[in-house]
Amino acid sequence: MNVCVFIPTAAEPWPENATLYQPLKEDQILLSDCASSLAVQAYLRMCGLPVQVVCRANAEYMSPSGKIPFIHVGNQVVSELGPIVQFTKAKGHSLSDGLDDVQRAEMKAYMELVNNMLLTAELFIQWCDDATAAEISRPRYSSPYSWPLNNILAYQKQWEVRRKMNAIGWGGKTLEQVYEDVSQCCQALSQRLGTQPYFFSKQPTELDALVFGHLFTIITTRLTSGELAERIKGFSNLLSFCRRIEQTYFEDKTKNTKLSKFV
Amino acid sequence: MAAALELRCWGGDWGLPSVHSESLVVLAYSKFSGAKLTVCPIDWTWKTITASVPELLCGDAVVQEPAQILHFLRKQRFNADYELTARQGADTMAYIALLEEKLRPALLHTFWVDAENYSNLTRPWFASRSPFPLNFVVPSRQASAALSRILVTKGEAPLHRISEVEGKIYSDAKECLNLLSYRLGKTKYFFGNSPSSLDAFVFGFLAPLFKATLPSSTLQSHLKQLDNLTHFCDNILAVYFSAQNPSLPPPVQETMDANLQKLTQLVNKESNLIEKMDDNLRGSPQHKTHRAESRARVSTVTD
Repeated sequence: MNVCVFIPTAAEPWPENATLYQPLKEDQILLSDCASSLAVQAYLRMCGLPVQVVCRANAEYMSPSGKIPFIHVGNQVVSELGPIVQFTKAKGHSLSDGLDDVQRAEMKAYMELVNNMLLTAELFIQWCDDATAAEISRPRYSSPYSWPLNNILAYQKQWEVRRKMNAIGWGGKTLEQVYEDVSQCCQALSQRLGTQPYFFSKQPTELDALVFGHLFTIITTRLTSGELAERIKGFSNLLSFCRRIEQTYFEDKTKNTKLSKFV
Repeated sequence: MAAALELRCWGGDWGLPSVHSESLVVLAYSKFSGAKLTVCPIDWTWKTITASVPELLCGDAVVQEPAQILHFLRKQRFNADYELTARQGADTMAYIALLEEKLRPALLHTFWVDAENYSNLTRPWFASRSPFPLNFVVPSRQASAALSRILVTKGEAPLHRISEVEGKIYSDAKECLNLLSYRLGKTKYFFGNSPSSLDAFVFGFLAPLFKATLPSSTLQSHLKQLDNLTHFCDNILAVYFSAQNPSLPPPVQETMDANLQKLTQLVNKESNLIEKMDDNLRGSPQHKTHRAESRARVSTVTD
């Protein structure tokens, strides 16, 4: 793991030239990767750490864990939100220091809920729903490659995800059951958020970044069916939560918030 | 209630009603919610290889997977979560996800992949509960399923080896145990004074790890340091599982199995008793206890 790598240089400050790598934004990136990437970007913005986003067709193969996104800071490379949170913490930047032990347990539990339900549902819809896989996921995933490599890589990825779904018992689920799971997960998040601006009242934590990354991406991405986004739009406090984070942390880029076009 | 509820699960040992986490979740929830289940251990039957465990049979309906079974029981008005607020319901979902993601891989590894535990504890136990020739197949099939589940869910690149993920899954699991311990604090159950679904899940995941005599386990010793979690398990065992027999007799068509099982249970019970008895008691009253035991058993059978 990357954990032990960065300890000797933990005290070094955050450099100006930190970069975040993700697949090509227009033609290649898929919903689940886009959500994970946005979650990391939101987290770094909440910490006030500047990062330049770079799109590379081979980002997945550059990443030390094979997962999107990863950041390149100084001479270190760290991938995925969990390790990145630990990494910034070692550099002295943390959003969850103000929480007590019970709150931190709760935060981690809800983060696993998002990974366990939302991320898995995104992967399921991308690769196990035949229509979405044929029309969107396989062509986009393999867009940088020529025949026959494009087919080989796309089907290999699809096989990998389906194997994972079978291992965790999602193999026999129907699309409708997956939408139902997403609704339940959003119901839980909505209940937990209540009327607060962030999950732990006034200050955002990594949980807020993760939830924002996934919900915002689902709402603003067009799939073969709009059902997934519709499920989320039923929860008004989650929508205003996404709008709040977009306005607070991503305002400079877009004058008209992207979310308003979809809701 | 129209149809009787029948639960198929792995049988008990190590002082637990079942050695199998998922079965234990359902058993605990049924006790919490007051659902009367007829428990049919699949031990010593051909179902050890064919059945999906745990499995709830209610008339024509067959329900699998602990979460689905709990949902089914709730619909039958056996609801242990009735008094939870919506926020507590949300917390329940989140903590169950935490258990699934962080604790389950390490549990699977501890029982099925760790070579020492597997060959000294898990394989002998499951082999001795499976009829010949399944005893050669059942444990290794479960072990390979566990290994592939760990690799597929936690292995990073497709061809990574198990040694590369071990460190990560154990540190995740220890963190998860710590978080549960913080969350439980000094209270008796996770939400107030009566147990709910979350308590059933935590109990199901922790109790086998706590009670099994594992030859090698860093995770078990970590759990034993967290006093509130071990008290939590002991308390549930004492309140909900001590008065009755750990497993009820199987149905009539399996009388051979039932007899064999009763015999083994008696032998197990007896050896436990012998261990507990003082030296001066060890001589004569042993036979008497045995008879009292079987009389108690007969009375529960007729219930």
